[in-house]
Parts: sequence; structure tokens; C-alpha cells
Amino acid sequence: MVQLTIRRQDGNTIWYETFDVEEKPGMTVLEALFQIQEKQDGSLCFRYSCRGAVCGSCAMLINRKPVLACRTQLSAVKSEVILESEKEEILLKHSSKDESKEDVLVEPLPNLRVIRDLIVDMDHFYRLVNSIEPWIHVSEKTGYEENIIEPSMQIQIEKYTNCILCATCHGNCPAAARDDKYLGPAALAKVWRFCLDPRSRREDVDKLTSQVNSKEGVWGCDVVYKCVAVCPKKVPPTTAILKMRENTKSKSD
Amino acid sequence: MIDHDIIVIGGGLAGLRAAIEAYQLGADVAIISKVYPIRSHSGAAQGGINASLGFDDSWEAHAFDTVKGSDYLADQDTVDVLCKEASERVIEMENWGCNFSRQENGKIAQRPFGGAGFPRTCFAGDRTGHNLLHTLYEQVLKCNIKIYSEWLVTKLVIDKGRCAGCIAMNMADSKLGAFRSKAIILATGGYGRIYQRSTNAMINRGFGISLAYMAGVALEDMEFVQFHPTTLLGTNILITEGARGEGGYLFNKDHERFMSNYAKDSMELAPRDIVARSIQKEIDEGRGFPGGYVHVDLTHLGKDVINERLPGIRQISIDFAGIDPVKEPIPVQPGQHYSMGGVSSDINGRTPMPGLYAVGECACISVHGANRLGGNSLLDTVVFGRRAGIDAVDYIKLIQKADGDKLIEAFRQEEGRLQGMFGGEGGNFASIRDELQQIMQEHVGIFRNRKGLEHALDEIRKLKKRAAKLRVQSKVKVFNFELINALELQGMLELGHIITIGALAREESRGAHYRTDYLERDDGHWLKHTLAYKDVEPRLEYKEVNIGRFTPQRREY
Repeated sequence: MVQLTIRRQDGNTIWYETFDVEEKPGMTVLEALFQIQEKQDGSLCFRYSCRGAVCGSCAMLINRKPVLACRTQLSAVKSEVILESEKEEILLKHSSKDESKEDVLVEPLPNLRVIRDLIVDMDHFYRLVNSIEPWIHVSEKTGYEENIIEPSMQIQIEKYTNCILCATCHGNCPAAARDDKYLGPAALAKVWRFCLDPRSRREDVDKLTSQVNSKEGVWGCDVVYKCVAVCPKKVPPTTAILKMRENTKSKSD
Repeated sequence: MIDHDIIVIGGGLAGLRAAIEAYQLGADVAIISKVYPIRSHSGAAQGGINASLGFDDSWEAHAFDTVKGSDYLADQDTVDVLCKEASERVIEMENWGCNFSRQENGKIAQRPFGGAGFPRTCFAGDRTGHNLLHTLYEQVLKCNIKIYSEWLVTKLVIDKGRCAGCIAMNMADSKLGAFRSKAIILATGGYGRIYQRSTNAMINRGFGISLAYMAGVALEDMEFVQFHPTTLLGTNILITEGARGEGGYLFNKDHERFMSNYAKDSMELAPRDIVARSIQKEIDEGRGFPGGYVHVDLTHLGKDVINERLPGIRQISIDFAGIDPVKEPIPVQPGQHYSMGGVSSDINGRTPMPGLYAVGECACISVHGANRLGGNSLLDTVVFGRRAGIDAVDYIKLIQKADGDKLIEAFRQEEGRLQGMFGGEGGNFASIRDELQQIMQEHVGIFRNRKGLEHALDEIRKLKKRAAKLRVQSKVKVFNFELINALELQGMLELGHIITIGALAREESRGAHYRTDYLERDDGHWLKHTLAYKDVEPRLEYKEVNIGRFTPQRREY
């Protein structure tokens, strides 16, 4: 048996609840959550879809780290030690916890409003990403001629198109935590993806570049690489932000 | 009442492509999806999308491979359209920003795929679906198309013999909404999760297909279920055909490249039905590894090729099986992957119900026949998604919106039905689902026979009775997954029932439908499509296959 201690929320009521889960080899935290939802408490809610770390639905905080629940093996987190002092405070208040059992702490992704249990308001995150107008403009008729793109450029762009918009980066970002207008790592990485792409029109790149040349944009970043550290797809937003800072500097020089 | 000219149900590739087309042609179009569009299962597609871009390839060659792969059950007029329009659609996706992998000369790269006489599968690493989905989603954002995200459609409303809208539940507060429209485009994907072992996302329960069936629309060729040869042992996450396309080998426990015994010319790149059966046979006859699997070995390809062409496969193997394919072979077994069958629809996505369209995996157009070739499903979504968008825009110009009385009546009925699903004790969703999955896997899987299918039919009938008594205990309004599960379970059982009945009736082996008691294809009796209609028990009828330039011949690889 493994214990999952889950931060529950319904309206303004917040509580921590502990569930025993029967562990199976290779079990992920997402599977453990399903076991609870299906066999113990049908009211528990969380988002899911692919269960294979490609759709980005199940980002949450597991032992205080933003991760995809489907990609997190129970065996890897059950005996993890959480150093932060606040954890004890939470768990002391919670009486049903059995200290002799291995325990996993599951909470909603930070920096986004909780709707219920582990479901957060992703619309805020999507609005930030969509505000940069993340698309290629094609005015002429499509489907007739392919663009020629160097394989090396394709590989550079791929680093950023690998983003699945799961928002783990947003949940780990200190700038996003203090400023809800900050575009955040995912949106800024996407800006750079479109700046790199030879299919973007010059005027769109210029517009993007000036749009992010602000404290809500590239200058809001603390450059602490917390987004890079948690990205399940190894996207490096901080690298993108630094490149864009250089670009805006060299322009104004 | 919410009004739109056209409502697209489903936010995967087919749905998004249909919506873009309808928008560009000036229609008021909205998308309803039970998940935010980029969470759709299209994003999990790995290997690629077919198009005869090569100067020495042709759409006719692509069509031949598709028809032969389908074991001659595909309608050849629709296959022609699929293959003719392929290049334009793929190049369009490139123009919209899809980050396809490239050749040295900067053109779109192509890899060999199963059952294809030419390397015509375009790809973006092994994350082709993800790249296509995000690209289309970006274009949907650009069009500013209204999306009702996390709404579950519970009923299609038919008024005076045509589809006049739908009733949907907002998952965020469990409230129902009545959507009035002139046309509905169903693009809700497959039903993989009625099987125990499936590559499909957890959300793929076939609910959209069951909605059309409940509305009286025929489902076509549902007994044709594709089992992918290589799914990761344990989670059954897809290991792309591209792994073999890039040169991976299949080995049994005696380190024999056993495909030489089944398809000596094509080897690992025979079509999926053949490779899946071969693997299952190796396992069943004791030449698999204990636990029921074989190996797909990529180690000889080297780290660079794996990192460049199959990085997602490497990551999946490490994350979910603790195995690095650079150093070790990947343990794989066959698993349910795709539905060739679906809502009966034509060359423009029209179903027999006026005002209702179906495209993508939820539809049976039929371009895949008895067995789909790898790389043709992504193509199917964009080709027929677009065509349905065009046709729907033409259609809505000709008709008036329904007055809405029928819609209000349906809304009240749905409210009552949902209320009635709450209550005290009354069975458990998960146990009924688990039993259904186990029955389908064991008796309606890769190898089928009369005895097993009859047993499955009995069991499914019992499960349906149990499901009727299922009651939802959680009263929460905000994201009540117990309610969603109970609703969708009814659809899963209907589909299981239809697949089984169709499989029992079809006394031959064709493509993915393999009867151990009828080993041969029987064109004399069975070169025809199955149609299943709602009745006390699903009622079967049959219709002719459109045969064009390719006369059925024996299928060898």
C-alpha cells in the first residue's frame, strides 16, 4: 500500500485527504488517481487524456514538483523526501495519515486558480499563449508549393515545437507567481519558435519582437531556469528568452 | 438555446480541419469538444502522413497500396480522392507551419511504411500528430473560431428527418445546453478503450459514434478493428511503425527474425494486420517471451538515427518501460489501435442523415476497408475534414433552421435522463468497463471464432443490463467524472455489441477480421460492407463495395 495525500478543494473549502492505493508494478501517479476515483471517491477530479506524456493534460504538483502525473512512476516518488517545512504543517493538521506508510503528496499546479481538486483554470495560461498570436500568416493560396527549410533549421525549431502546452513551466515560474500579466515561459518559447521560422513574415517577427520587449515579456524573466528544469519535453524557454534579449539589445544599439 | 450554422463535435485533426474550411467559406461555425482541442488523441499519432510527393511516385500507386492493404473492402472512388488530394493537403499543412522533418535539400522527408511500395510517409520526427494538431489549432486560433471546450455532447437531435442540433453538458458545472444548428460534423475519434490493451488515449470511448447510432444512423464495418503490431509491454503505448520503417527488426525469444515465415518479401513492413497476427501467433505458440511479448530491436540503427528520427520512442521506452532502445530491444505486443469502421459516410463526409456529417476515425468513408495502412489515417482527417467543411457550407445555404421546439423537448428529456442517473447503490462503472474490456480483448480480438463471439455476445447483453442499473453517487456539479463515466459507458457497451454481432455474422477472414473457423477471404459472399442499425438488438444490413480500377486479387506481401 502507498498513501496519496491529495489537496482537495470545493468552492472555498480546502482540505487534505489521504487515500490508500494498492500499488502495482510500473504504476504511475495518474493510475493511482484513477484507482481512487473509480473505487474510493467518485468525486475526485483531475484532467487526463493520453496517459503517455504527449497531450499535456495532467500537469500537477507531486511532492511539490510540477510534473505530468502520467509520466511519474509511483515507485519513484513514494519514498521521496520533501524538504520544505510547510509540508509538515499541512500533514500535521491531517489526522488520518499513517506515518509508517510511504506517502505521495499530490496538489494542483500552482500559479493558476483552482477550479476544483486538481483541476486548475487553464484558460489564464491559454490566454497568455494566445495573446502573442501564435500562428503563421499565409495570405496566398495554400497547398501548392512547399517551403524549402534547411534540416538544421528544422531541428532548431523542433526544440520549441516539442512544447505540449502542459503549463508545468508556468507552475514553476517565480515571475508568473508574482505577476499574472507576465507572458510566461511557454508563450515566450513559442514567440522564439515563430521568430526562427523562415515561414514567418518579416512584419510578424518585428511585431512579436517588439511585443515581448517589455517587463511582461523577456525582461520579466528571473533567468533561474526553473521552467527548463521541469519541462517534460526538454523545451528550453530560458534559452529562447536570452536570445530574444540579445536581439532587442543589438537592435537598440 | 445556442445558435450556430455549423457545429463540429470533436477538436482533433478532422474536426479542426473541417472548422477551418467552413470558417473560410464564411459560415458561422463552432467546435464542441470534451477536452481542450490540443489534448485530443490525434496528437499521439507518431509515424506520419502519406502523400505521393516523390517525382517517381504517383497517387495511383498510393491508391493501389491502399486498396490492396484494405483487402479490397475500401470504396475505390473515395480512395482515389484520398490519394489525389494528399499532396495538396500535406503541403498546406507545411505552409501553415507544420515542422516536417526535411531531406538534405530542404524538401519534406519521407520514410517507408508498412504495405507501401514507396517511401511516401511524411513525418515530423516521431511526433507527426502532435505537430499537425498544434499547427491546425494555431490556424483555428487565427480564425478566432468559437470553441466550447470541456463540453460533452450527450444527444444528437433529429427534427423532421434531419439533424437539427445537439444537447451538450458543460463539464465545469454539469449544466446542459441546447445547440441549434443547420449541420453537425461529427469528428469524435475512435473507441479503443473498449479493449483491455489499446494504444488509444483514455478518453477514446467512441461516445460520438454511439450518439449517431442512437440517432438512427447506420454504423459501417464495425467488426474491422485494427490491432497495432507493436505496443509497449505494460502500458500499450504506441511504438510507431516508423521504428520498423527506419530499419528496426522483430525478434522472438529465440532471436529469430520470424517475419520471414509470414511475409518473406515485406518482412517487418508487411501491413499491420499481417504483422500483428504473426506476432500474436509467435506468442501463442510459445516463441514469445514470458509475459507475452516479442522484441523490436533498434540497437543496430545507432544513437544518432534514433535521436533524430525516433526521439519520442526513445523517451517513451525510458519513461514507461525503463528501457533505452539505443542499448536494448523494446518489449512489444499487439494492441487495439484504430477503428476502420464508424458512422457510415460518403466522399464528402455526408451520413445518410441529412445535416449530419462524420469524418476522421469516427467515420467509415470507407477508405481503409478491412485494414488501414499506416500513415493513411492522418491523411484521412485533413482530406475529408476539409471536404465535409465545404459540403456542409453548401448544404446550409439550402435549408432553414429548425424552429427549436424539438430541441427544447430533447433538452428537457436529457435533463430528466441525467437526473435519473443519480441515486444510491447500483453497480460500479469500473467493474463493468473492466469486464467489457476483458471480453473484447479475449473473444473479439486478433483471432476470432464462433464459440468465442457467441460467448462475448451473451456477456455483453448481461453487462448492458447491469449498466442500466448503474447509479451515480457523487452529487458534485463541477467536473463530475462519475457522471461522465456512467454516460459514456452506455455507448461503449453499444459499440462492443455491434462489433461482436458484425464479427459473428461475417463468416470469412478479411484484413483485420480473422476467423479461425473461416480462414479464407470469401468474395462471393462477403465482398460487401456491413451496416448496423439501432433496434432491440443491432440489426445488420449490407451494401456493395465500390470497385474501380483494381479488381480483387489474392493479397500477398
